[in-house]
Order: sequence, then structure tokens, then C-alpha cells
Amino acid sequence: MSKLSNALMFLLISFPMLSQKNDSIAVNFKVNFDQFPLEFNKSYVSAQNDTIQISSFKCYLSGIEIHYTDKTVFIPKTKPHLLDYAIPNSMQLALPNQRKTIAKVCFNIGIDSVTNTSGALDSDLDPIKGMYWAWQSGYINLKIEGQSSSCQTRKNQFQFHLGGYQQPYYNLRRKEINVKSQDNSINIVIDLAVFFAETNLSKTNAVMTPGNKAMELADISAKMFFAE
Amino acid sequence: MKTTGFLLVAFLFCLGMVSFSVDSSTPIYLEVPSGWPKPIYNFKNNPLTEEGFELGRNLFYDPILSRDNTISCSSCHLQQTGFAHVDHELSHGIESRIGNRNAPALINLAWNKHFHWDGGVNNLEVQAINPIENPAEMDEKMANVIVKLQQNQQYKSLFRKAFGDEKITSQRLLKALAQFTVMLQSSNSKYDQVIQGKAAFSSQEQHGYDLFKRHCATCHIEPLFSSNSFENNGLTIDNTLNDYGRIKITNNKKDSLHFKVPTLRNIQFTFPYMHDGRFKTLMEVIKHYNTLKYNPNMAPALSKPMQLNDKDRVDLVAFLQTLTDRDFLFNPRFGFPKK
Repeated sequence: MSKLSNALMFLLISFPMLSQKNDSIAVNFKVNFDQFPLEFNKSYVSAQNDTIQISSFKCYLSGIEIHYTDKTVFIPKTKPHLLDYAIPNSMQLALPNQRKTIAKVCFNIGIDSVTNTSGALDSDLDPIKGMYWAWQSGYINLKIEGQSSSCQTRKNQFQFHLGGYQQPYYNLRRKEINVKSQDNSINIVIDLAVFFAETNLSKTNAVMTPGNKAMELADISAKMFFAE
Repeated sequence: MKTTGFLLVAFLFCLGMVSFSVDSSTPIYLEVPSGWPKPIYNFKNNPLTEEGFELGRNLFYDPILSRDNTISCSSCHLQQTGFAHVDHELSHGIESRIGNRNAPALINLAWNKHFHWDGGVNNLEVQAINPIENPAEMDEKMANVIVKLQQNQQYKSLFRKAFGDEKITSQRLLKALAQFTVMLQSSNSKYDQVIQGKAAFSSQEQHGYDLFKRHCATCHIEPLFSSNSFENNGLTIDNTLNDYGRIKITNNKKDSLHFKVPTLRNIQFTFPYMHDGRFKTLMEVIKHYNTLKYNPNMAPALSKPMQLNDKDRVDLVAFLQTLTDRDFLFNPRFGFPKK
């Protein structure tokens, strides 16, 4: 019994020590409108001259890879992660540090087709997160909602819910971002001004199903992501 | 070396504790009748247990899933009628709101690849989100269902028995419901007994079976009397609904007016028929196929009308009635849970 309790003590003590030894890399996602941090419900003017207020920004990240300058690649065993600008903690990812110089970060914007057909899932993939279509099974990869006087809609609202996991409307987008980071943090900007510079809000203001329009907007939204 | 020994002992000890808590549930299995295809449902991601099934059964019969605690799954899926919603063209939900379609029968779901008349749902586990959140059905929010269940002592106990602890999440709720619904297997009709050599068709039923094989079996494939496909069966559009079926899911023009091919098992009791419940009797269904006007978008197997005479039509219905499985319709295991 004493041997057993010794062993248990050893386990209890060694686990926190092991985890302390591993520093982590922080991947920070900064949501901007042009050069400035986005504020919900503040009025912005887009390159298309639309006056815009944003009320929600969410998107899924999956399939993360860290590429180092020595050509090695680290693939962390992380589940898909939901970035929700309304929840500041969600905008940062902590990954185990390999103590090497990072050259490139790769990730998917969205959820892959296998995960989309895998039944009931948990954590960030829990359907209660508001990023799941029930009547046409599948995750919403990226969501932008707000208002603009350019939208002739109820309450001038625009709603972009981009998703779709089946060809020819596979909506996931792979992103590769070159970074130079020797310290433990990587900053990636998501600039919503890029999206609204290419979207004509008087014509396109509600996209909530997989299809050609969602494919076009996914291409545009992928351009919002770049290294700070 | 000594440390390794300690670690091993500690590891085994921990393993023992873990397996003890999991082992308190009783595994169950879906029995696949001989000659049937392999089920499509992935049991590996949701191993069936008696406790999981029982939790799912309690949830299936409990109106707690609806916003005002009035509507349960069984409101539209009654066991004695093949878990279909009889006598309503379009199913109704909370506050007698009318939906857009006839609630389908829940039979042999382990072999279904898609769910709903338009196949929009890709996995049995995520189907239940629809009725729970649809404003014409239960009009509730999944997050709120979880809160209600967390406040309920009986469910705390049922979730603990099924999953090892009292944590209640949407994933566990959906997996438990799937454990119940995936077990709704019908495989002991007179037809099945004839195939197994335990019974014989009457000459009328046999003639009906011959007609069935000639005119219906291309889409309603034995032994499930279904296929995981979508077809245009020549129904004209109902302008009060404008339901074009599968095209809404695929955006593909070829899928306009395509609907899922439903199972014919227990068809005697799952009336009314078709996605909008437009036919009250099997005879009306047969008349539809008997006098179909050709249209190029229809399933190729329907290119010629059946042109059955009066006697043939009666015989075909007699065969369809051999697909009734009373063991399934009246199995107490699928009924309202005992308190």
C-alpha cells in the first residue's frame, strides 16, 4: 500500500512539473477594421462607401500546422477552435512550443467534410454554439453579421453565414501565413475592411446556405487573414 | 527500474478505477438479420448500452424537449403506427402549428444514409436538433433543453448511468436519442417469415409479391424496402407548399421534386402517404403509379405506368400488408418508459 501511495504521489507531483516545462506559443488573432481594432456597433465606412456596423464575428480554425525555418513541421493535436470576437479569450490559441524559429503558420478557415459528417460533437463543435445548420447538416465556417444603410432588408441587417462541406460547394479555405517569430507569440490580423471592400452590400446581404455565393465570399474572407 | 515499477502499479490502479466506472453499463448490440446489408450507422462512435438506450427512450417520450413542455418526439412518431404521424397530411407541433411535411416513419434507421424527405440531415445523431429547434415542431433551443435537464434529478441519474457521470451536454443527449432510435428495428413481418421459410404467402399475397418485384422493387429494394436514393415519382407540385425537395439541399436542378424513397415496412399503418401526405390510402398510391403521365425528370423505372387491373391492385395491397410487423409495433421495449 505504501508503494502504491508513493507511486500515486509521484504521478500527482510530476504531472504539473511536466506541464510547466513546456512553454507555449500564443497565436493571437486580432480583428480589425482597417488599421484599428474592431468595435462592435461602431460605424465604419467601407471602400465601397457603405456605412457599416458589425455585431458579430465568429469563425472556425482547424488543421493547424506550425512550420519552422529548419523545414520541420509541428502538427498540434488540437480540436477545431471557434474564434468568437465577443469572447476575448477565444481569440488566442496556446500551442506547445518547439523552441525553434517559426517560418509559417497554416490552418483551415472552417471545418472539414469528415468532421461535418461525424454526428454529435462536443466542445467548440457543440451545436449550441450557434455555428451549426440543423436542416442541412453542417457547420457554419465563418459568420459576419451587422447592419448597413445600404441593405434594403429588415432593420438594414446583413447576415453572412458561410459554410458547406460537399463538392462543388466545399467552403473550407486553407490559409498559409508567413511569419517571423523567434519569441513565443504570433499575431494574425483579421481585417473585416477587406471583406466589405469586395462585397456589394446593396446586392449581397444575406448568404446563409452553401452555394456559389458562399464560395465567392469564402474566397474573399480568406484574404482578411494576414500576419501583423 | 524501481520508479518504473511504481509507475506501472499506479497506472494499473488508475486503469482499474476507470474501467470500473465504465463497466457498470451493459453493452447491447443491434442484431443484423441474415441476408441484410451492413448497417450504415457508425456504432464505434456511440457504443450502445442498455443505460444509453433507456436514457434515449426517456428523452424520446418526454415533452421536456419542447419549449412549453407539451410536445415529445412520440407526438409525431407513434409506435403503433410505425413511429409515423397518422391521419395528418402535414404534421403539427407546438400550439398546433402545422409543418411543411408528413413526419416519416422511424424504422430500421441504422441503414439510413440520409434523414428527412430531402436528405438534408447526414447523420442520425444530429437529426434531433431539427424537431427540437424547428418553430413548427418543439420551438425550443438546445441550450435551454440542456438547462432543463440539468435541473432534473431523474435525468442526472439517467445520464450518470449512461455515461459514467452527471454531465449533461447536447452531445450526450443526441447520442442517447440515437441509441434509442437506431434500435427501432422491424424484421419480423410475415414477409420475413416467408423469406426464412417459416410461413407461406397466400396465393393472393404471392401474386402481389410478383407484381411488387416487377413494378416497385427497383426503388423499394428488399429487404429494407427502401433505398438511400432520392427520386422524382411523378407527383405534381402542390402550389400551397411549393416544396421542391432535394434541390433545396444540393442546389442541383436535377434534384428538383426529388424526395427520399421511404421504406414500405409497416406501410399499412403509416398513412397518409408521400412527403405531403396527399394520399390517404394505399389504393390511392397504387392508382397514382398506375396512371402516371410520362415526364422526362421522373425515375426511369417509372417511365411506363403499371396499368394494373382491379384484381392486381388488390393483390398488391395484400402483399404490402405482409410487411406489417406486430412484434415491432407492439414491442414494449420501444414503448413509453416504465417509471
